[in-house]
Amino acid sequence: MRRRALALLPLLLVLLLAANGVLRQRLADFVESFPTPRAAVPAGWPAPQYDFSGNPVTASGFELGRRLFHDPRLSLDGSISCASCHQQFAAFAHLDHRVSHGLHGANGTRNAPALFNLAWQPALMWDGAIHNLELQPLAPLANPVEMGETLEGVLVKLRADAGYRRRFEAAFGPGEIDSRRVLLALTQFIGTLRSADSRYDRGELSAREREGLALFRRHCATCHREPLFTDYSYRGNGLDADSADAGRGAISGKAAERGRFKVPSLRNVAVTAPYMHDGRFDTLSQVLRHYASGIRDSAALDPALRGGLALGPEQQQALVAFLETLTDEAFLQDARYAEPLP
Amino acid sequence: MSRLILPILALALGLAGCTRAPELDVEIDISHVVGSEPLRLDDAIYRNAAGEDFSVSRLRYYLSLPRLRRADGSWFAPLHPAESAEAYHLVDEARADSRRLRIAGVPAGEYTGVEFLVGVDEARNHAGAQTGALDPARGMFWTWKSGYIFLVLEGKSPQSPAPGGRFSYHLGGGEPSLARRVYLPFGERPVRVEERLRPTVHLAVDVGALLSAVNPVRIAQLPEAMDPVSARPLADNAAAMFRVDHLHHEPRRRGGG
Ligand code: HEC
Ligand code: HEC
Repeated sequence: MRRRALALLPLLLVLLLAANGVLRQRLADFVESFPTPRAAVPAGWPAPQYDFSGNPVTASGFELGRRLFHDPRLSLDGSISCASCHQQFAAFAHLDHRVSHGLHGANGTRNAPALFNLAWQPALMWDGAIHNLELQPLAPLANPVEMGETLEGVLVKLRADAGYRRRFEAAFGPGEIDSRRVLLALTQFIGTLRSADSRYDRGELSAREREGLALFRRHCATCHREPLFTDYSYRGNGLDADSADAGRGAISGKAAERGRFKVPSLRNVAVTAPYMHDGRFDTLSQVLRHYASGIRDSAALDPALRGGLALGPEQQQALVAFLETLTDEAFLQDARYAEPLP
Repeated sequence: MSRLILPILALALGLAGCTRAPELDVEIDISHVVGSEPLRLDDAIYRNAAGEDFSVSRLRYYLSLPRLRRADGSWFAPLHPAESAEAYHLVDEARADSRRLRIAGVPAGEYTGVEFLVGVDEARNHAGAQTGALDPARGMFWTWKSGYIFLVLEGKSPQSPAPGGRFSYHLGGGEPSLARRVYLPFGERPVRVEERLRPTVHLAVDVGALLSAVNPVRIAQLPEAMDPVSARPLADNAAAMFRVDHLHHEPRRRGGG
């Protein structure tokens, strides 16, 4: 069986070279339709939460997802794409924007988080409102103050586009473009944004950065747990005595969880300013000052932070130096994630 | 290779054998009423138990995972492929064809009642992108907090303090879930499923009961219920709005029908 397929290979190649536009495109699609190892798990990491076996990543599916992610036509007036708020150079966070306009209607006051290693997240959003990565894109798409489209509206536009029709068939086989295919393709892209190649990962730390790492393991790692730099729990880190945003409390309905938010990963944190769910801090030094001397007490506050962390200015600087080693330049510049050519 | 051929042949023959047996089914027909009157969207005015006038502009809900109870107390539930949404049915008063559903592949025999889930079970409520009745494009999916809306009732009432005198109830989510299992006994006469007869179960679903059956609500006090906490009283009412109105057995014509 296999040998016969191999025997066909030269024929395929000749065809590929000789073929004119359409045929060549079809053959390229065929070659791209095989699974790629993009969803691989870095050594020493836990198993991901999102199960790619139900949505195997193929080159064509990933490429389609990348195209959708960067395409402003997904918004009602054609002006905003996912990438407008999730910029690659900022590790897919939104540089300089304290908050993006109302993602949740009523709760329209949140900072766009960086996007990477999403397959490991048990739930999405600052409050964990979304349980499954595949459903995440529905939130911005349908939000009137974000992309403002309806799923139906997006499907009409995509179905009318011959390029998209071909790309969807290449990725998922014959059949109409439906919401499931749109969501699966976007998931193949956002679910394989992987960042695991920082200086920290390569163990290239200076003495001072290693000092920062030791402090980090003592004071921060209970919540920002290695290797993902979060334990995905919902906690209060003392930002407010009375949080304006209910956070996890709105989802769980528990009063004590008012003002608790998902512990964010700190990978690439040096490039994802501003910080916290409402983008209140502009620099990492401000964040460290907060942990040392700005902690506010409340029912939501985590016991580990009560009274603040005993960190002098020197130690705070060492911590910042360590956090800067978590930047993954290869990820920020990976051309496979960039806006595709038209 | 040749070791595989026999089992495959056997399987193919087996499958062919199965499909040759006549497919028996039970049809469920749904009529919406308000008390004793038929439901008409938009223009008809009804009165609830609290004495408030109201009209209905939208009524949609999921009836999921149907199963039939045999006289001996055991159950028949149709089997569907794991990925399919065939066991989920979206009833929409605005779409006549949605008020009819079919339980297929029913073994011949006598059945004494039917059970549904009003809503979507936890497993599917938390699963990824789905199709069919569970396609999020059907407008029954909360995008800001993932999960299905199990039931929507919207309308107008002069007593509503909301803009335009509107009221909107969206039931879904909740811990424990607002989805409710509803068992409807067929009564004295069982449903007979056999080659000659095609049974239809007519359900009457009372929107009035949705407002009053267990926990009476006043539109004046509850013009909106869009979260599990405020919608919980309505979920208990939703379970009480279904009843079997009558049964029907008709000769089954050859070749389906
Ligand atoms: C107008 C800005 C904006 C646009 C456009 C936008 N997002 Fe977001 N995104 C946000 C904000 C703000 C949040 C955090 C919301 C919250 O937690 O309540 C977020 C959260 C996310 C998350 C969750 C990350 C995490 O760690 O929990 C993912 C994934 C995501 N967006 C993907 C997308 C995709 C895919 C698109 C395009 C379909 C998109 N976003 C379009 C602003 C935006
Ligand atoms: C008790 C758990 C806990 C501990 C300990 C903790 N954090 Fe956090 N951290 C959080 C939570 C929760 C947030 C998000 C809070 C919010 O936005 O409301 C957060 C946010 C941050 C952010 C902002 C990230 C972003 O993308 O916006 C940084 C930076 C940060 N922490 C660094 C640290 C450092 C450095 C330490 C140790 C000195 C530390 N944290 C200790 C729970 C903790």
